Amino acid sequence: MNASLLGIIVFLPLLGALGALACRQNVRACRLLALTVMLTDLVLVLSLFALSPHTAGIAGNWLRIEDYSWMDSLGIRFTLALDGISLLLILLTTALGALAILVSWKEITDHVAAFHFFLLAMLTGVLGVFLATDLFLFYLFWEIQAIPMFFLIGIWGHDRRIYATVKFALFTISGSLVMLLALLSLHLLHARQTGETTFALLQLIHTSFSRPLELALFGAFVLAFAIKIPLVPVHTWLPDAHTEAPTAGSVILAGLLLKTGVYALLRFAFPLFPHAAQFFTPLLLVLGLTGIFYAGWIALAQEDLKRLVAYSSISHMGLIVVGIVVWNITTLSGSLIQMINHGITTSALFILIGMLDERLHTRKLSELGGLWKTLPVWSGFFLFFSLAAIGLPGLNNFVGEILILVGTFTERPWTAAAGFIGLLWTVIYGLRMLRKSLWGEARHRPDIADLTRRELAILIPLCLGVIWLGLHPGPALESSGRPWPD
Amino acid sequence: MTVLSWKSVLFQLLLAAGGITIFTVGAFVKNKPKPLLFSLAIGTVLSAAVAALLIDGGRTPFFQMLDVGAYARFFNVLFALVAFFSLLFSHRHAGLRQVAGDEFYGLMILAVLGMSLVAGATHWLVFFLGFELLSLTFYILITMRRDDPLGNEAALKYLIMGMVSGGFLAFGIAMFYASTGTLDMPIGLADLKNTGSPTGMLLSLGLILTAAGFKISLVPFHLWTPDVYQGAPTPVTAFLTTGSKIAVFAGLLRILMLSSNWLWVHSLPVLWTLAAATLLIGSVTALAQTRLKRLLAYSSVAQMGYAVMGALAIREDGGLSVIFYFTAYALMDLGAFGAIATLCASPESDLDELDSYRGLGYSHPWQAALLTLCLLSLAGLPPTAGFIGKFMVFKAVLQARYAVLAVIGIASAILSIFVYLKVIVVMFMKPKKDVAVTSGFGMAARIAFAVILFGVLWAGVFPSPLQTLISRIIASIGI
Repeated sequence: MNASLLGIIVFLPLLGALGALACRQNVRACRLLALTVMLTDLVLVLSLFALSPHTAGIAGNWLRIEDYSWMDSLGIRFTLALDGISLLLILLTTALGALAILVSWKEITDHVAAFHFFLLAMLTGVLGVFLATDLFLFYLFWEIQAIPMFFLIGIWGHDRRIYATVKFALFTISGSLVMLLALLSLHLLHARQTGETTFALLQLIHTSFSRPLELALFGAFVLAFAIKIPLVPVHTWLPDAHTEAPTAGSVILAGLLLKTGVYALLRFAFPLFPHAAQFFTPLLLVLGLTGIFYAGWIALAQEDLKRLVAYSSISHMGLIVVGIVVWNITTLSGSLIQMINHGITTSALFILIGMLDERLHTRKLSELGGLWKTLPVWSGFFLFFSLAAIGLPGLNNFVGEILILVGTFTERPWTAAAGFIGLLWTVIYGLRMLRKSLWGEARHRPDIADLTRRELAILIPLCLGVIWLGLHPGPALESSGRPWPD
Repeated sequence: MTVLSWKSVLFQLLLAAGGITIFTVGAFVKNKPKPLLFSLAIGTVLSAAVAALLIDGGRTPFFQMLDVGAYARFFNVLFALVAFFSLLFSHRHAGLRQVAGDEFYGLMILAVLGMSLVAGATHWLVFFLGFELLSLTFYILITMRRDDPLGNEAALKYLIMGMVSGGFLAFGIAMFYASTGTLDMPIGLADLKNTGSPTGMLLSLGLILTAAGFKISLVPFHLWTPDVYQGAPTPVTAFLTTGSKIAVFAGLLRILMLSSNWLWVHSLPVLWTLAAATLLIGSVTALAQTRLKRLLAYSSVAQMGYAVMGALAIREDGGLSVIFYFTAYALMDLGAFGAIATLCASPESDLDELDSYRGLGYSHPWQAALLTLCLLSLAGLPPTAGFIGKFMVFKAVLQARYAVLAVIGIASAILSIFVYLKVIVVMFMKPKKDVAVTSGFGMAARIAFAVILFGVLWAGVFPSPLQTLISRIIASIGI
């Protein structure tokens, strides 16, 4: 069992998914089974922390590697590999997965078994993306993430769910298909050069390209990842998808799916095509910065709370991409920790908005107000997480942001300056959101139930995560190890 | 003529015997015993499949006319299985529509015989015989319900198309004979000394390609497809879309494999254009459809585009990708049409309007699940057989350095995603309409469902056994 621990971690949610379908007559059993499965998975991931720390990232010094032959005639192997980066991300995945199930406890009442089936199947896909190092296997998991999300948004979402989910599916799958071509070209090129038929990342890194071909292939890969991250201008699916998804869907979407895009940039696109990456750095920086400003600007105009947070996600991801593109130790550590931070804070915000929606059946800022008086506990948490998202020092987002910006400043001062101003944007729309929702005239009945124990159980771990990562990020940064030196 | 040599065509003999037996029983036994006829049909098909699996006829064609080696055997088994599943799906459906009887079952058996002859022919007369047998049986199968105007119209269109394509084929064969002096395929196609007139050869190949194009529904010969698919009884459509297309394509593959280099090089531009046109037009026209059977018809046109793409790479990968794609395609389309066959809007008509599929995911979960899985497989999404098929085809095309065609293929795939998603959205995400759905979901169909469901997922996650099998078959043809 020890030998295929990574495999078990990846496929346990899928088993849970099938189990949930099997006990579809008993709703409570479904929920408990799903929760148990995800908590077990979380424990298994935590056990991985016992492995020796301080090992490097993409260079091939894996913490753990599991390699099985699968489709040898095509050169495809089932290879899962763990390093510090993926370790942190799969920890985030399992934790958010468990929280997503808890959040849906009361919210989802129709077709509960199917809901948990899709949720858990999607988590298998996400775990697989973070752990696969065989390019075909990565592509398989990359596509597998999208389909359950399509169903989740489409069946259990809000009013415009069909439009949102079809847009999401089309954007994501189109990008993936383009990436498929690039993947195949890379594989064939490598075979022609070295005679090895392989899809393994570490072997494909040693392929030499002509300049235009490398640019084209890098472009194709980055297109697929840029749609996921999302980078402006292929970001337009995100506001709709986030807004119309059920709370658990938004949590997974914002907390995990976006991170898979950044992770893929880090793990695949940049190492495979280093020269193209250098060539495209200015463009990617511009796109990242545009994301910060443009998305922030639009967030300022939003009336729907969920849509506002969705645009803030784009903004934050823009900064993370800037950190990746600059590619030095400081910014990479910053981006990595910021991915975790963003996962925690944005998920918490979506969870809180979901709780509000359940009670007041509205997400419009114009209909909210004075919530501090009506729902004090909820408002306290909302204030806390919003301040974290804004980047208050002492809370988690600040750590990531400062690492990214300081690291960028050493190489590209103007970019860093723009980034700092972008932080200001975040503060502006964040404070507007707080003012309109928490303070002002109380528009709702004062006897609406505040947070229940289950909801507190969801939020308190997130709170602790925020505080811990904000005040003591050292261990997290340490366990991510040293990233790939260029 | 030793006993051994007759054994090598046991597959065809069993089918012929089975078909004749069914007709005889139907003629002489009073009030046609449908269960008996059904069992006869199933028995024939299964025993023929076993015969094809077990008996290796060797590399020499039977009387120089019919291939009995690995390639033909693989397709024979495939056709037998396709017929088996179509029969299972038709069990209750045929009963509902009152078409069950000796004609229906007997003709299906004979159609399999025709398919086997087309796919296995190494002599033009056998090819033509099989082609016509295939056409004739389907003319009647499509119009099985004599009082259905849609069915009659469909059969008429198929008849006209069939006659035209038969004419093209005959003329092509005649030109072939005129150019090479022989009706033997391997000898004539590999015409090494180029003793034949080159223009004549090209003309003959062009005519034969046209005839094949009609049957495979390549653009611009595809216009019959939506009407025929819609008008025929759904199990017959399932049989038509998988069996007949694969048979003719298998024959075409053999022709391409046997062609001399000169012929091959000259056919490439034509094949390229056919592939590109079929891919694009197939996907674009499917976008506008509001009836499921027509939608699937246009989608199967596009699927053939991918197959032609794979056929372009025959010299590089030996046909591995195309043959795998066909197997996957057979499973997917059988599953999709099979699921539709078990849902009847009324005893008279199939459930066709996309609108009537609303909420089907919850009222008929198993049928919807199979249909969804097959649609996702047709779209080429993992972890299904369709994904592996597309993966292999795109790999082969890139290996053969047709980058532009690969991009066209991807564009077509992106378009088709929307088509399939539309159906899934209607089934699961739209509120239910009050449309009565009679279920034709008997035990037979359940067996077929289970096997196809398992097959699509298995071939998607563990395709190696199938791939190894096909590689060995290709190696044994020895190109």
